[in-house]
Amino acid sequence: MSVWKYEKAREIVVRTIILSVIFVCISLILIGRLFYLQILQGERFFVLAEKNRTAIRLTMPDRGKIYDRNGVILADNHKIFQAVLIKEQAEDYQKTLDNFKKLIPLEEDEEKRILREIKYKRAFMPIQIKDNLTKEQVVLLHLNAPVLTGIQIEETMIRTYPKKDLTAHVLGYVSLLNDRDTNVDSIWFDLAGYRIGRTGLEQSLESRLRGKPGFKKTEINAMGRTVRLMEEGKSVAGEDLNLTIDIRLQKMAMEALGNEAGTAIVVNVQTGEILSFVSTPSFDPNMFLSSISQKKWNKLMNNQKKPLQNKALFGAYSPGSIFKLVVGLAGLESGVIDPDKRVYCSGATQLGNQKFHCWKHEGHGSLTLREALRHSCDVYFYEMAQKIGVEKIVETAQKLGFGENVVTEMIGDKNGLLPTPEWKMRTKKDDWRMGDTLNLSIGQGFLLTTPLQLVRAIAAIANNGHLIDLHFLKQDKVTSTASLFNNAHLRLIRAGMYDVVNHENGTAYKSRFDLDGKRMAGKTATTQVRRISLKEREEGIKKQKDMVWESRDHALFAAYAPTDKPKYAVIVVVEHGGGGSSAAAPVASKILKEALRLDIEDAKLKEGVTRK
Amino acid sequence: MSFFKDRNCYMKNYNLSFKEKWSGFNWQFLFFICLVVFIGIGVLYSVGGGNWSPWASKQTVRFIVSLCFLMVVAFFNLRLFMRYAYWIYGLTLLMLLGVEVFGHIGMGAQRWLNLGVVNLQPSECMKIALILALARYFHGASLEDIRRVKFVIPPLLMMGVPVLLILKQPDLGTAMMLVFETAAIFFLVGVQVWKFLLVLIAGTAAIPLVWAHLHDYQKQRVLTFLNPERDPLGAGYHITQSKITLGSGGFWGKGFMQGTQSRLSFIPEKQTDFIFTVLAEEFGLLGSLVLYALYMIIIFYGMMIALKCTNFFGKILALGLTVNFALYVFINMGMVMGLMPVVGVPLPLMSYGGTAMLTLFIGFGLIECVAINKEMVIGRLGSIDDE
Repeated sequence: MSVWKYEKAREIVVRTIILSVIFVCISLILIGRLFYLQILQGERFFVLAEKNRTAIRLTMPDRGKIYDRNGVILADNHKIFQAVLIKEQAEDYQKTLDNFKKLIPLEEDEEKRILREIKYKRAFMPIQIKDNLTKEQVVLLHLNAPVLTGIQIEETMIRTYPKKDLTAHVLGYVSLLNDRDTNVDSIWFDLAGYRIGRTGLEQSLESRLRGKPGFKKTEINAMGRTVRLMEEGKSVAGEDLNLTIDIRLQKMAMEALGNEAGTAIVVNVQTGEILSFVSTPSFDPNMFLSSISQKKWNKLMNNQKKPLQNKALFGAYSPGSIFKLVVGLAGLESGVIDPDKRVYCSGATQLGNQKFHCWKHEGHGSLTLREALRHSCDVYFYEMAQKIGVEKIVETAQKLGFGENVVTEMIGDKNGLLPTPEWKMRTKKDDWRMGDTLNLSIGQGFLLTTPLQLVRAIAAIANNGHLIDLHFLKQDKVTSTASLFNNAHLRLIRAGMYDVVNHENGTAYKSRFDLDGKRMAGKTATTQVRRISLKEREEGIKKQKDMVWESRDHALFAAYAPTDKPKYAVIVVVEHGGGGSSAAAPVASKILKEALRLDIEDAKLKEGVTRK
Repeated sequence: MSFFKDRNCYMKNYNLSFKEKWSGFNWQFLFFICLVVFIGIGVLYSVGGGNWSPWASKQTVRFIVSLCFLMVVAFFNLRLFMRYAYWIYGLTLLMLLGVEVFGHIGMGAQRWLNLGVVNLQPSECMKIALILALARYFHGASLEDIRRVKFVIPPLLMMGVPVLLILKQPDLGTAMMLVFETAAIFFLVGVQVWKFLLVLIAGTAAIPLVWAHLHDYQKQRVLTFLNPERDPLGAGYHITQSKITLGSGGFWGKGFMQGTQSRLSFIPEKQTDFIFTVLAEEFGLLGSLVLYALYMIIIFYGMMIALKCTNFFGKILALGLTVNFALYVFINMGMVMGLMPVVGVPLPLMSYGGTAMLTLFIGFGLIECVAINKEMVIGRLGSIDDE
């Protein structure tokens, strides 16, 4: 072999060995890298791969349904289609949203909400764009799916209130979560279209009604399309609730109140069941399910009769003459009032240099307790109150439940205000004067009571002195106190109430009824509206007719029936209704009559069923 | 050049009988090649979601066709390749020019030449043609020749012209492969190391100039390689998902056809450039190492065949082809492991693709041809008696 060949061949061998060494080095790097990725980082990448392929979607639990005492459905769920946006699946969510708007217009407020949700929701969580899609809209969205990346159409349940305004203030309503719901658990934010109870029982019993969301773990491909279902956790439906409300009575109460602003509550005096809980004017709670338009909202807000305000729950009124029942009872219990002793009413009582007038300027003449209640004579109670003293009146009022919460099932129940000398000293820095006692004796002055407190007190008077727990939910056990008062004393008070309706001189005589011998007993009240000057200033100059309505007296009537075996108690408040006897008593009369009529009807029906 | 002159040189001597050729054929080498191809078809079957279509079946057909080409090429006379090396190179260069003029756009780049029946990718063929031409060029050169600067200018031009054409297509990966394989051959035949360093320094200095001429997507790829988190859902997506796919395999892997990343299309081009990640996901580190070992065995056999060959043309040809193969493996693996920018180099024998498979098998056919003709005497100019 020639030299050059030998040299060259040797060089090639040397260089090949060098190159092999380089290859070995490269191999070490590559294998090291593989070891790093697959072993050292393997777990991390495994998790990332799992994350890649799985999507967890929460599924909506069915909200508990709500029925009335006879099984009539008051709050139902029905199926709807909704369009949701999943941000991470959208190529450009703004573009998607714009394309969506071209197909289905969105309200300006809605769009703002969507953009807000896009900002604070996690990228893989669905955001509701539009619910209640019609079939045509669903088809339209499906056809345009290519330009709507990230949009998905899903079936969901939505609340409906078939009885509309009849139940608005009992059930309240539900609406979508917003960014002010900071105390709501984040899991609910991850459910597109979840609606939370905002008022009424929907709000108060939210935790029982909402149920537990389920989940669907699905495998998705790189395009975000679901490939298969991997794991599913079924949602747990919320609890169905049976209320004590009788929707028929509820309807009658609404009708009886008519166009007035007011409230009517009917309870069973033996069981504490609330059969009717009405606040007028009412509204259709269905309109809050989807976002409400500004126009509708303004209309509701500007209505001076305040349809959104739950007067049955939040209303606090001077009880007026109804409180005379409490004072009379306090007098009897303390032995100050002798039921047969007459007191002379000249039309006014002189206290120092102050004169306290009776509502009847010419005076009632001389009256017994029963007659004083019948006529609602102020002077009788002025005189008696001075002898009974504020402490005994307050004590009796407290026993009857004034100044405290009545229902636990509904959030927002007020305490009202039962004034005491200590309270006055604490808040007004002033001594309790006899004048305050006189004002208290006719249910005016500082005293504020809620309709629920009043109806419970009436129930206690009617059921021989048991202070009973009022409730909205059907329950087997009745919680009430032992009799708190001497039954003879209660009979005297009830006799007065009987006369108010059934004596020809009674203040509510015109509202009497006789349904197979079943009668009503009650007490009227007409209370002056305390006008707050600050409010006046805020609202500016008003039209004359509004001024007149606003300054009219509140009309109240508390009653129970039947008189021989009391079963139902009712409180009716007609705001600015004028007189208790003319505005409130007829309403209460209609309601109680209906309650008694329904009892008879139901009994007949039951009899018919058992006979069959 | 003298290759026109002695037309009859290969006729004179050394005509092996078919039996001799058959026994000279390196069957072990072919066995390991086929083993890798079978693994590749298995992975393609998995990628297809447990289906022969669309990839596994076609790849099988291509494998059979390519195998025929390998056998035919292997049983050719080695002198024939020596003789026609420049012709083959020249023809391929013409085809590259043809792509420039008639080529139609495929995958966003102008790479394919439609020859009526088949779509040919001349840039793929150039990889072999260039090695043939360089082997021929360096065959008769002495070490002194090779160490002269002037001597390496023609082969640099042989490389430079096609590289420029391929860069124009644009196909950064193939151009890079040509540069690397030329450099490797230069190194193997004994070009001094300082010259490489000089070119390296000059090249580094030219980076800004090259950068200015890169296409946007190429720039993106380089930038993304340097910082994958720059754009996790855009260009960096490939690298990130590739690493996730690899890493999630762990030691044992997720099992055959159980790779979620590939099945659910989280890795792009899973059947071509990123096929290794599919294997790594389903068979873990174990499977990856087995495959890697097979590749190293093939490279080892290639080198041994080259070193056993007594003529320089065969030596250089076999070495060049083997190094070319090794570069494919290293660059693809480095790419999918996130050690290199994504340049579009397939994993040889595994990736789905017709031209690549065919070119590789023709290359292996040439190596087998070298193995068969290891004792052939080839004169400086291609004949036996021109020394």
